[in-house]
Amino acid sequence: MANLVTSLCCVVLAAVVVAYAQRRSQLVARNQYERMGSDVTMQCGSLDNDASVSWKVNGTDVKAQHRLEGPRLVLNEVDLGHNGLYSCFQNPHGERRDTIYLHIGIPPRDPTVTCRSNTYPKGFYCSWHQLHPTYIPTTFEVDVQHNQRSLEVQKDPDHKNRCRVRFPEVFSSYPYKVNVTAVNALGKASTTISFEESSIVKPDPPERVTATPIRFNARRLEVSWQSPATWPDIDNFPLKYFLRYRPLIREQWQHVELSDSTSHTITDAYAGKEYIIQVAAKDTEIGTWSDWSVAVHATPWIEDPLPITSTTEVDFPTETKTSPIPSSNAPQKAEPPVGRAARLLTFFSPLLLGMLLLFM
Amino acid sequence: KNTVFYQLFIPHCSIHLSLYFLFTNDAEGRLHQSQVAVFLLTYLGPPFNEKDFSPPRPNSTALSLPSAATRLELWHGLENQARLAQNQKAYSVLLAAVRELARSTLCPALKTSLLHFCTGLDGLLGSISALMTTLGYALPPPSANMEMRPTMNDFAKKVEGFWILRELQSWLWRSAKDFNRLKKRLRG
Repeated sequence: MANLVTSLCCVVLAAVVVAYAQRRSQLVARNQYERMGSDVTMQCGSLDNDASVSWKVNGTDVKAQHRLEGPRLVLNEVDLGHNGLYSCFQNPHGERRDTIYLHIGIPPRDPTVTCRSNTYPKGFYCSWHQLHPTYIPTTFEVDVQHNQRSLEVQKDPDHKNRCRVRFPEVFSSYPYKVNVTAVNALGKASTTISFEESSIVKPDPPERVTATPIRFNARRLEVSWQSPATWPDIDNFPLKYFLRYRPLIREQWQHVELSDSTSHTITDAYAGKEYIIQVAAKDTEIGTWSDWSVAVHATPWIEDPLPITSTTEVDFPTETKTSPIPSSNAPQKAEPPVGRAARLLTFFSPLLLGMLLLFM
Repeated sequence: KNTVFYQLFIPHCSIHLSLYFLFTNDAEGRLHQSQVAVFLLTYLGPPFNEKDFSPPRPNSTALSLPSAATRLELWHGLENQARLAQNQKAYSVLLAAVRELARSTLCPALKTSLLHFCTGLDGLLGSISALMTTLGYALPPPSANMEMRPTMNDFAKKVEGFWILRELQSWLWRSAKDFNRLKKRLRG
């Protein structure tokens, strides 16, 4: 007797669960993706063709141009404004029969793909992007082939639309083929690029660039830097460097190329001028130059100015007659702190003009 | 141990390598091909001289021509003798292959260019052999691996020439790194 009651309870319970699930499925929205500019048909559940329904979008009446065909709502030439949660209610009692989340979008176009190795010889990464938005969720599948073998691809945890691959071998004569396919509910598009190991190598810029003046040397600057931290094996895969510098007042850069050295002394700096200095790096044999490092500013050493005493070379009258020029530009206060040598030169400028020109 | 000799030969090899490096990048990263590469690719004609062209590698070259490609851990762990021996074997085969290309071509300009290139390769091979001898490593016997090559049609010959050039490029690039590693290991 107890068994019969239990099984009867189970049957009733099951029926209730099924009925509830059925009712809930009508309330759980399903997604519908449609192409921008097309005509869209939304079907209200599984009602017959002669059913009469009314529709609401986001709780309000459908204002966009549309027509009703039995249980179907037809929208013409849809655009992003048609996005929304559409619900249909069966007439005459108005029971909700279906809920559809409409997403308008466009199918993907061929993605743009580039690959680079800044961690040579460990591995490389590939980045891709779509030139045009699709407005609907789009995923990307990446496939990398080398010497007729598929390589393992890992998503980059820190960058969107980027994946990482380990080099299966180094000094390879075979090219790599990378295929990226963009997929969304409206279609797919793919791009394949092909490259050799050596052509994608581009280090990150050198780091911790410092430029310091050298005492008692008015025309020198000591520049030093470090190889980029991302370059994994600087001993076996050395980098060569390119240094460029110019005074702020000039447009033209001077260049120096250095192998196997992370410091350089500039010996032809203009005295007293502020310089801007940058460094780039490259593998000694293959690949391309890195981007320029962060710019560093430095001025070569200049002699300390003399402290101003009561007996200065420049003598000005202290009494103020009715002078047209206000005394706010009092020479003693306004005198700029220049080196003693420069001060003497400006004082004797008529005589030493030629020497000045020589220096500049 | 005659340390002076190997200190001389390693930079000597590097000079050879930098002179004959087939593909180089300029300051803006543009790829420049050396005279020999330009000659050979022009001679081979389309589609060999087109960007991204990569024909399947014929089995004949794959068997006789040692590949520069190697797994990173293996490359790191190579003992000095093995490292030098691999280079020596590779350039012996490559020299013979380029000589054969020079011999079989009918284009005089290409023949001259290739033979000039062979002189450089010969010098490089000599430096490697001398370095091995100085370090007390036995030189492998000259291999008589000029086995009967299958008769190939013109296109197949061109594909083979293309791959010889490719592999030569990879070896020159690899050797630069090999000698750098050797320099560090011999110093320390």
